[in-house]
Amino acid sequence: MFLKSKPMWGKKTKLKSSYDVVIIGGGLHSLATAYYLAKEHGITDIAIIEKNYIGFGGAGRNTAIVRANQRTQYNVPLYKEALDLWPVLTKDLDYNLMFNNCGNLNLMHSEAAMKAARMTIATAQFHGVESHLIDAKEAKELVPALNISEDITFPIHGAMFHPPGGVVRHDAVVWGLARGAAKKGVEIHQQTEALDIGTQNGRVTSVTTSRGTINTKQVLISAGGYSAALIYDMLGIKLPISVLTIQAMVTQPLKPVLDHVVSSGAYHCYANQTLKGEIATGAHMDPWPNYTTLNTAHYIKHQAEALSEFLPCLRGVRFMRIWGGLADMTPDMAPIMDGNEQVEGFFMDCGWGYFGFKSCSAVGKYMAEFMAKDQCPDMLKPFALNRYQEHKLMGETAALVNYSPDN
Amino acid sequence: MALTITCPICGKRNGYEFRFGGEEKGPRPDEKDLTPEKWCDYVHMNKCVAGVQEEWWFHKDGCGSWFKIHRDTTTNLEKEVKDENKVQKAKSGGQK
Repeated sequence: MFLKSKPMWGKKTKLKSSYDVVIIGGGLHSLATAYYLAKEHGITDIAIIEKNYIGFGGAGRNTAIVRANQRTQYNVPLYKEALDLWPVLTKDLDYNLMFNNCGNLNLMHSEAAMKAARMTIATAQFHGVESHLIDAKEAKELVPALNISEDITFPIHGAMFHPPGGVVRHDAVVWGLARGAAKKGVEIHQQTEALDIGTQNGRVTSVTTSRGTINTKQVLISAGGYSAALIYDMLGIKLPISVLTIQAMVTQPLKPVLDHVVSSGAYHCYANQTLKGEIATGAHMDPWPNYTTLNTAHYIKHQAEALSEFLPCLRGVRFMRIWGGLADMTPDMAPIMDGNEQVEGFFMDCGWGYFGFKSCSAVGKYMAEFMAKDQCPDMLKPFALNRYQEHKLMGETAALVNYSPDN
Repeated sequence: MALTITCPICGKRNGYEFRFGGEEKGPRPDEKDLTPEKWCDYVHMNKCVAGVQEEWWFHKDGCGSWFKIHRDTTTNLEKEVKDENKVQKAKSGGQK
């Protein structure tokens, strides 16, 4: 897999002893940042260092849902731009990212939830993102498979309908960005583990890898769920992150039955039908930190119960595959993007929880600007690490009554 | 794979009976000379060890005790480390 065949993105290159920029992690945030560094800032002497293969982590394990109906004024514009970038990237990369703009339906199961949805919708509309509140009947008209009867555990009161969202083929994004970045001169080194970051007088000087040391002045760690452990290990910087295994699964392929992404907070379940016909559904997060990415019988049972209640036509359908990935959760459900603060030349992009996929396009663009100009763009300023010290936690999660790792 | 946890009072039980109580961070910092940095470190910051770590658990669907165990976060298996499982009498609920 790694030795004989030629990578799909271009030529295999030898690891040099020095680069302008080293990026640790071969996921979507890394690939997108490298792509935009090369495309918009002319910085092409970049090495992406990946321990396994590109797209091994969250990039290939997420459930591919994209949307921009988050809760706060800081997050919504970022996700809106990410959403707007899918068609642009499809063209620029000349790669079919299979953006299926099917719309998201977020079910509400109580009057309190409807009230919360009204506020989220107001925020979305204020930022020019299309989002509406609909009642149970309208939800049923959009998705006839829904069970809107009152005799289920959590009867449906209404829904938040967000037409611009949908599903993007996550592997295609990995391949498209890898090819796009490599075409501009970025080097991708798989099977190369980053071991340490060398610093001198508070500045980054090198990165030690399993294939030798690289001299560099700028390092970005954007290694998904593995970022927090790497950052503490290499630089002794502690982060407000808990790393949890999150699971998802697909059913056998069915004839078209679901043409929206349907999600429910109360059932802790979301589902969409892939172009192949499978119902892709998630996601259970282990309530305790772990790096196992293992599956549990507990979750299979939970998912079967939830789906057969609000989408009863799926009763008896078989689950075909189940898998796990990592979510690096922060207390305020918002990411940490920072640079040149703890160590000169060190940048981090982590704490995305389960929002890493839907944000990658826009974040790559802004992290690239941050690294190229050594100046934090306004868009990323609210996401700095010191917000926790200043008690300026973001309101993505309503209130921290019970402070638990999975929020 | 599921998790089992050994409660010092009830013995080995299903992990879903417990609530994770955070990484062991030492005693609560003294309020005298407390800086925002120290407080933030105690309240929010984690090491996120990929390996064996010492951590707090609460037997919420059992006897209600708070206790510490060592667990390997890459396998979900408890590790025997001497001096572990000293029961801390549960104070008023939800405190850690």
